[in-house]
This record gives sequence, structure tokens and C-alpha cells, in this order.
Amino acid sequence: MDTLLATLVSGLVLGSLYALMASGLSLVWTTLGVFNFAHGALMMVGAFIAWTVSEAVGAGPVAGVVAGTLGAGLIGIVIERLVIRPFYASRNMLLVTAMTTLAVTIILERGAQMIWGPRLKQLPPLVDGEIRLFGNAISAHEALLLVAAPVILIALWRFTVSSKIGRSLRAVGQNQDSAALIGVDVPKAFALAFAISAALAGLTGALLGSIRFITPAMGSEPLTKAMIVVIFGGLGSLGSTAGAAYLIGFIEAFLVLWVGLYWTPFALFLLMILVLLLRPNGIFGKR
Amino acid sequence: MTPLLDVKDVQAGYGDMRVLHGLSLHIGAEESIGLFGPNGHGKTTLLKTISSLVRPTAGSITFDGIDITGRKPPAIVEAGLIHAPQGNTLFGNMRIAETLELAAFSKRASNGAQKRLDEVYALFPRLAERKTQLAKTLSGGERQMLSIGCALMCAPRLLMLDEPTLGLSPRLKEELGAAIGEISKSGVPLIVVEQDIEFLLSHRPAISGGAWRRRARDRPRERARP
Repeated sequence: MDTLLATLVSGLVLGSLYALMASGLSLVWTTLGVFNFAHGALMMVGAFIAWTVSEAVGAGPVAGVVAGTLGAGLIGIVIERLVIRPFYASRNMLLVTAMTTLAVTIILERGAQMIWGPRLKQLPPLVDGEIRLFGNAISAHEALLLVAAPVILIALWRFTVSSKIGRSLRAVGQNQDSAALIGVDVPKAFALAFAISAALAGLTGALLGSIRFITPAMGSEPLTKAMIVVIFGGLGSLGSTAGAAYLIGFIEAFLVLWVGLYWTPFALFLLMILVLLLRPNGIFGKR
Repeated sequence: MTPLLDVKDVQAGYGDMRVLHGLSLHIGAEESIGLFGPNGHGKTTLLKTISSLVRPTAGSITFDGIDITGRKPPAIVEAGLIHAPQGNTLFGNMRIAETLELAAFSKRASNGAQKRLDEVYALFPRLAERKTQLAKTLSGGERQMLSIGCALMCAPRLLMLDEPTLGLSPRLKEELGAAIGEISKSGVPLIVVEQDIEFLLSHRPAISGGAWRRRARDRPRERARP
């Protein structure tokens, strides 16, 4: 019973992490029709910026998280401008931007290696102490992640459903020409979607930076998981992405328990392939 | 009197394919015109060029005395030059009410948006009945109504409709025709592109006919006054 509860809690933490990562990836996909392979690298940069502001500058972890979020968002705007916007009109936009964002990943990872060096870094937790959840002790920082993820997701969802700007992002994703014809500035909408997505990645990195070590390659595994989540969820709405994120989190936690850490990634991919065979549009996607 | 819209020697096309070869057209503040002609003669391209979805390679477009050639689409919408595109599917996963509210996006259109929303619902009671329905679940006629409704939400000073009756049954055509007549009567100048000349002619008083002929230099040939 204890193991089961511990696994559930661990799944919840993983799910929150994946939900934050995948919602940004999904926002860019639904608005621009682009798969941003630099999403993991943006997360890593967010973590390093947070570390610099919090530790090297000494402004404290809260300022670090804020700086990591905003910094990643700004870099996101630059990336959109430099390597995505020039290819809007291209017929192969999806493929071209897959390559350009992969290139950005390499630049950011090597750049981080040069700027911050190879030594492992870690952020102090935002909040100290432990909290008991279902009889299991988890760090207060992880508990904060558990609360923050749904709050941020709901805020993002409300933004896209209720606000004029948020609705215009959805409109651009569904029909660019029609959106332009009612006065929406399509390139600006793209930039905004990319900035929000990058900021979410940066925030995830800054929060993860006190749970795992901050390294130049720290973004690649969460990116892979976020991709699984987005495809698994059905490449569509925020709701299905969030649902899939928690589902994958739980599945991963139980796989670690049953087949061990070593075989878990393999089992996850196998599961994804099986799901896509049976439901080609994802587990929550419409047939 | 300066015309409301003045298109001068415009050339435009897609990539290497030029569709408009120096086209000129003008419309006064009080008039409405219809453009007709077969498929592939550049009627839609003309509207797309005016609303800047397609950039002209030569020529100039003036709206209300201001040169709008090559301006971004949002600036043109802000000026009140509104284009309801052809065969519109709009935003499939948005509800009718949401779509219409969003359509009052420009700064100018957000003034009095509620009043215009009521007017749109009055003009198309069917949309009012289906407020919460997703656009992709609508019939062709309802989509066309939503498309025109959206254009009205933009507070048009000149409204361009691209084949509003494409693929509709005679009854729906009649209904839409009446609505378009209402819009014209309310004082909004119209440019209506149609293949169905009967439809255009049956709505004379409201819309005066303009024929479209393919020539070495494409241009509307004449404008028959009613």
C-alpha cells in the first residue's frame, strides 16, 4: 500500500512536470503548426538563467525563477524571429523548422557549456521543508510544483478561451487568412505564442533546477517526454495535452516500479506505438 | 469627388504566375458593384490583393484617400476595408458567439461591438439560435452567414463579399440575397463577386453590375447602371 501511494505521488510530480513542458509545445504546434525541437533547450536555458540570478548574483530563488521564465521567453521571441518567421511561406515549413529548431538546440546547449561550464549546478528549493502527502514525505518544493502546474494550466486555458488575445491565437491556429481578415496581426500572434511557450519551458527548467541537476543536456529527456505526451494526447487541445501529461506521469511511475528504471523509456515508447496503432489520432484525439 | 476605393494598374499573382495584369477599378462612397466572370479570371485574387493577403507587384490601391498599397492586413481592416473570403470555413473549433465577438478585433470595430452583434443576430436569426455551436458543425449556408456576420462585426466602411452564394440552394440564395440587400440599404458600400449573374441582377437597385472580361490587360469592362 505504501509503495502504491508513493508511486502515485511520484507519478503526480512527473505528470505536473510533463504538463508544464507539453502545454508549451502544444501551444506552438496548434498556433504555428511547428514542432519546436528547441523546447527542451529553452527549458535548460531557463534553469541556467535562474541559477545565475539566484546563486551567482545572489538575488534568491524567487527572483531566479522569475528571471528564468522571462529570459527563456525573450530568447523564444528571438528564435521565432530568426529561424521560424523566415519560413512561414515555405511549403516545407514543418520540416525546415524542425531542422532550424534542432540547430538552435545545439547552439544553446554548446553555448550553455561555454558560458556556465561543465560543473553540475543546482538551485535551492523555492520553499524549504517537507510535506506529507498520502503518508509520504515529499519536499515542499515538489508540492509547490504539484499546485503550480494545474494553476498555470488553468490560467493558460482561461487565457485562450476568454481573452481577446488568447482567442486570436486560437483563430490564427485554425485559419490564418481568416484571422488576418478580421484584423489579427498573424506574425505578432505567432511571436506571442512562441514567447508564452518558451516562458513556460523556462519556468519548468527553473522549477526542475532544484529537483535535478542543471546541465546543458538536461532538456533533452523532458523534451522527449513532452513530445510523447503531445502526440499521445492527440496534438490538439490544451485539455487533452494536460490529461495525457498526467497519464504518462502515472504510467512512468508505475513502469519504474514494475520494470525498473532501465526499461521504462523503452516500455513508454512501445506503449505509445501501440496506442497510435489503435488510435491514430492519439488517446484523446477524435477519430 | 474622390472615389472610396481606387485600384490603379495593379499587378499581382502567386509566385511566378501573374494573375492581374494592370487592373484598374474604382468605387464611389455611395455605390455598390458586382463583379462577375468565370472561374480563374482573377476575381478572388483582386479581392485578396485589396485586402493585402496577396501583395501587388505594381500599381496602387487607395482607400478613402489614403494609400494602402502593401500595408499589412490588420491596418486595412482597421481602416474599415473588409473582405469576407470565399467558401469560408472560418475557425472550425470556435463557437458562433465566440467567433462573432472575436471578429470585432480591430480598435475601431471594438466600439459598439455589442450593438453590431445584436444587428447581426437580427439579420441572421439562425446564428442567434446556434450561438454555442462549433463553426465546423454548421451547414454551408450557415457558414456563409457567419462569414458575412464576422465581416459586419468588423464595422465595414466597404464590404467585399467573395461568392456569398457558392454552392447554396435557391432558397438559401434568396435568404442571403435579402440579407445582402439589407446590408446595402443600411449604407455599407459593397463589392460582390459572383458567378451567378442572375443573383446579382436580381439584386439590382442594391448592386449595379460590372462585367469582367479576360483581356490582355485584365480590367472590368464596364459598369452598367441600373
